[in-house]
Amino acid sequence: MNNFGANKLAERVIQAELCSGCGACIDLCPYFRSYRGKTAYLFPCTREEGRCFAYCPKVEVDLDGISRFLFAKPYDGHPLGNWRSIHVARAGTRLKRQPFQSGGTVSALMYFALRSGCIRGAILTGRKGLLPVPQLVTRPAGVWRHSLSKYTAAPTLATLNRAVTAGHEALGVVATPCQATAVAQMRMNPLQKSPFQDPTALVIGLFCTWALDFRKFEAFLAERVPLQDIVKVDIPPPPASVLEVYLPGEKREFPLNEIRPLVPDTCGYCLDMTSEFADVSVGVLEGQPDLNTLIVRTQRGEEIVREAQRQEYLIIEDMPGENREHLEWAAGNKKQRGIRRCMETGRLNGEAGTACLRLTAEVTDRILEN
Amino acid sequence: MSYLIDEGKNASHLLMGNEAIVRGSLEAGINVAAGYPGTPSSEIIECFSQVAKERNLYVEWSTNEKVAVEVAAAASFAGLRSLCVMKQNGVNVASDFLLHLASSGTRGGMLLVTCDDPGALSSVNEGESRLFAQLLEIPLLEPGDFQEAKDIIPWAFALSEKIRNIVMVRSVTRLSHASGNVRFGPLPATAAKAEFHYSGPLLDPDTGPMIAMIVAAPEAQHGPQQEKMKRAAEIFETCPFNTYTGPAAPELLIVTSSACSLYSREAVSILGLTERVGILKLATTWPLPQRLLKKHLAAAPQILFVEEVAPTLEDHVKVVAAEAGAEIGGKIFFGKKSGHLPSLGELNPDLVLAALSRIFAVPYEGAPAAFSGAVKALAARYAPPRGMTFCPGCPHRASYWSINNAVKLDGRGGFVCGDIGCYVMGTMAAGFNTCKTLHAMGSASGIASGFGKLKQFGMGQPVMAVCGDSTFFHAAMPALANAIHQRSPFTLMLMDNRGTAMTGFQPHPGSPTNVLGDTVPALDMEKICRAMGAKVEVSDPFNLEKTRQKLNHLMEYADGAKVLILRRACALSPERRGKKDYEVTVDESRCRGEDCGCNRICTRIFGCPGLIWDGEKKVSRIDEIICVGCGVCADICPAGAIVRKEIA
Amino acid sequence: MSEVKLAKDPYNVIITGVGGQGNVLASRLLGGMLAKKGFIVTIGETFGASQRGGSVMSHLRISREVLASPQIPKGRADVIVSLEPAEALRVLALYGNPDTILLTNNHPIYPVGVIKGDMVYPPVAEMEAAVKEVLPAARFIAATARALALGNSILVNIIMLGALGRLNVVPFNREEFKEAIAARLAAGQLAINLQAFDAGYGMV
Repeated sequence: MNNFGANKLAERVIQAELCSGCGACIDLCPYFRSYRGKTAYLFPCTREEGRCFAYCPKVEVDLDGISRFLFAKPYDGHPLGNWRSIHVARAGTRLKRQPFQSGGTVSALMYFALRSGCIRGAILTGRKGLLPVPQLVTRPAGVWRHSLSKYTAAPTLATLNRAVTAGHEALGVVATPCQATAVAQMRMNPLQKSPFQDPTALVIGLFCTWALDFRKFEAFLAERVPLQDIVKVDIPPPPASVLEVYLPGEKREFPLNEIRPLVPDTCGYCLDMTSEFADVSVGVLEGQPDLNTLIVRTQRGEEIVREAQRQEYLIIEDMPGENREHLEWAAGNKKQRGIRRCMETGRLNGEAGTACLRLTAEVTDRILEN
Repeated sequence: MSYLIDEGKNASHLLMGNEAIVRGSLEAGINVAAGYPGTPSSEIIECFSQVAKERNLYVEWSTNEKVAVEVAAAASFAGLRSLCVMKQNGVNVASDFLLHLASSGTRGGMLLVTCDDPGALSSVNEGESRLFAQLLEIPLLEPGDFQEAKDIIPWAFALSEKIRNIVMVRSVTRLSHASGNVRFGPLPATAAKAEFHYSGPLLDPDTGPMIAMIVAAPEAQHGPQQEKMKRAAEIFETCPFNTYTGPAAPELLIVTSSACSLYSREAVSILGLTERVGILKLATTWPLPQRLLKKHLAAAPQILFVEEVAPTLEDHVKVVAAEAGAEIGGKIFFGKKSGHLPSLGELNPDLVLAALSRIFAVPYEGAPAAFSGAVKALAARYAPPRGMTFCPGCPHRASYWSINNAVKLDGRGGFVCGDIGCYVMGTMAAGFNTCKTLHAMGSASGIASGFGKLKQFGMGQPVMAVCGDSTFFHAAMPALANAIHQRSPFTLMLMDNRGTAMTGFQPHPGSPTNVLGDTVPALDMEKICRAMGAKVEVSDPFNLEKTRQKLNHLMEYADGAKVLILRRACALSPERRGKKDYEVTVDESRCRGEDCGCNRICTRIFGCPGLIWDGEKKVSRIDEIICVGCGVCADICPAGAIVRKEIA
Repeated sequence: MSEVKLAKDPYNVIITGVGGQGNVLASRLLGGMLAKKGFIVTIGETFGASQRGGSVMSHLRISREVLASPQIPKGRADVIVSLEPAEALRVLALYGNPDTILLTNNHPIYPVGVIKGDMVYPPVAEMEAAVKEVLPAARFIAATARALALGNSILVNIIMLGALGRLNVVPFNREEFKEAIAARLAAGQLAINLQAFDAGYGMV
């Protein structure tokens, strides 16, 4: 893959409406900034190469290169990516009951990692009103303020960039699949800066089928409920097919069919449901609202999970085969939808001049056959 | 004491054309002068104000040009001598009242002085005010040099009183802003008494009410108005300022006026054509003195018109020649239409030299071609062009920075309508190419008011407009009233830099003192906008982030017109000039230079002349001589490398 | 300083520089002195819309006989005094000839295009050498450095007037300058301006 500068990024991603608002290009420099869920390019930068482009998960990402860097294996198009083990998980007994979403696995792992010193800071996402607001958390107790799901894209990686610039090291990051891809690219030091040190010590990826466009979502809710009264928003796992909005003493439900038009176009090109480039990935367990699916992918992920289990911050069990099959089926579906969309619009291997995906024919065929 | 009221016998001073006009007015016993600032006219009101006490004048900077003419007209109606002054674009603004005034006529002598700007050296266009004399049906005089700029004024006042109508005197940049020796005449004693007589019969020029009633009775007023023009034409036949120099029967007659007569004289002299070319310099260019023209046209077989911008003389003199064709015979004409002179831009001796050299086939070379070729090559290499930009410490640069950021962050394709003032540079790189329309004073608000109503046709782009404090009073207020009344959701950014900065800090209705130095009520723009019904915010443009936040907030507020007042005095204003708030330095060890993470945003984008890019060290630095210490660049720097230290 | 006769009639002087450098004051001072002595003087001024930072140029026409136009014909400048080196070259290219006397300050003021990095302003020493190849008598003097030594960069215009006085081509002297500047400025500023004039006088 060729690296380019900010002008190309603006043209190929922002103007092409492929930007997911992940924040990878933000706070590295004064040119990109996030506002109300969208990434803006403020002034033209003339550099021919930039970290902004190199980190972006929506340019022509070299999936094979990332896979070789993280797992020492080629990218083969498996629905769940590379993994060491897959579990059913939930927060352990050492933790008092907190307002977790689902099984509390993400919060439990981050809490443990901070407490044990595996990481020295965590990039988490809280919210102000409906707007997701990423933050650097350095005290374990701070984790709980960020434990609820957000359903709109957040510029989480802007906060990671800021923390790195400020000299923070050994950071934990909770990332969506596109963000996990961006973090993996950051870790590869694409501009060959020297000295360079991997700023992360733990990347927890979240499962994601799509995220909502914040501005559209806010406008949608503003027409239906008093925005300032919203306590919590939730999408319970299938078979439920609704978005729940909790107001004081009241719960409102909106069918997902009404919500789907608020999903930005860019999610339709995504191949990754399970954050394949994270250290561990966490999602809901179908039909079990109190449990999580946990995919352990890297050695450092495995070490932290094992230690968290040993110290009773995390309870893990093997995943029943039928659950795994269903997970693979769902993730494979997303891959197929994404790759078809790329092919239809000429975005696979750059047929339309700009690619958001480059894959060998062999891998493409494998994904489509799965 | 100002030299403008030097009463010494045979006194002579080096005067700007504008000063000569003022001295001429003083010698004519002027009482009232009003105007609106605009280059190259602004010095006239300023000079009047300097001698207002000694000469018992009433002088004002009016809210706009139309008001200026109205104020001056009142003095004329009351029997005083008055003058209103503006640049060419101002005549457009004043033209509505002028059309009515020309039909009611005037009493005390009244002049409309316009200073045109051929070549648009400091204007958005090179609009031509001479054509207004035809439209208004009033006499037009054009002085040809500095002495004449003074001498023609008393003559013009007398003419105005003879025909009982306003007389237009037109200058151009090269007279108004150039200087030459002027011999003074005596100053009259001043003992004017103003009274408006209105009890006589309607249409009585001395005692009746002053009422323009063309529609009701065209023959009653338009007829007499045309008679006035005939009288003026007759007087013009013997006007002492129409001069001819040259042989009795020249091979070529140059017909010219204004500064062009100086270029013509110089070109004829340089080419040694004084025995072959005659120059008819006209001061009375509308209506034309037909008999005088006929006499000179008859004497020459070839005619060259030397004038700037529109071919006004050329067109009208050709009509005279055609009408007299049987008497004077056919002529060969040169000028703009023949392609001998350009039809745009200002003229100079070289253009006239080129035209004459072509007509007479006399070769001319200013400097040896080898020399100028060599120096031009050096200049191309060593003298990079000097583009326009905001001054160091200018609040507009900071304002546009925040506006650009707010528009980009908003991300809905919003845009800004531009207006007239230093902030026109919002259309250029200096203002980050923020403004996307630019027309007349106050037009940004009117256009934005219209854009704001296009939502019903699917337009979702947020609309903004800028205007300066002086422009606000001049022409933006009616547009804002319209937008508020029509609930047009646009955001007006009122860039209040405390004065009419572009033309030199003339006061406006928001200023606490007037041109005479009197303390006067300063109209509060914030209260006005609120009272009009707009949602109003105020911000200091030097606080970049606050300004950006407020603007983003206002852009999202969809209901009706909003005003963001960006208040910070101009860097050249008396209150800020020469005062540094901060000592600004660059910490070279922190400067990211061209690296990924900055790429010289301070010098490459922000572009304040006080910052320099050191190409050798690859760091930015402060130009100590240029920097005025506003400290804004410290907030631009992403690395904290620009450090500002408050000066106690 | 003995009384000088005009080498030509009209004698054409251009004073140029960048807005804010005091170019207009210099030309008015000079024109005023000459008019007072009975010369027929025309000053034509060109400055852009911006109050500062643009190219500024004053044309002085000095004559015993005629009122010359406010614009000097191309190639006919007898003297060019410049407060900024690039402006000197720009004006020389249009109005200079092989006999033109060129006197310029050597301190650059960078155009915004140079600051932004779109254009290059080569070192002044290089420019000076190149100019002297076509105009050997051209003079580059360190007026800004001298003005800063005197305490204020704004004195450059007066230093350049002093240097012009030393060249003995335009008929004015220190006494006339003193009278002219005294009439324009507050009394407290007279001494420093005379010092600047003398400093310039000593620099050529």
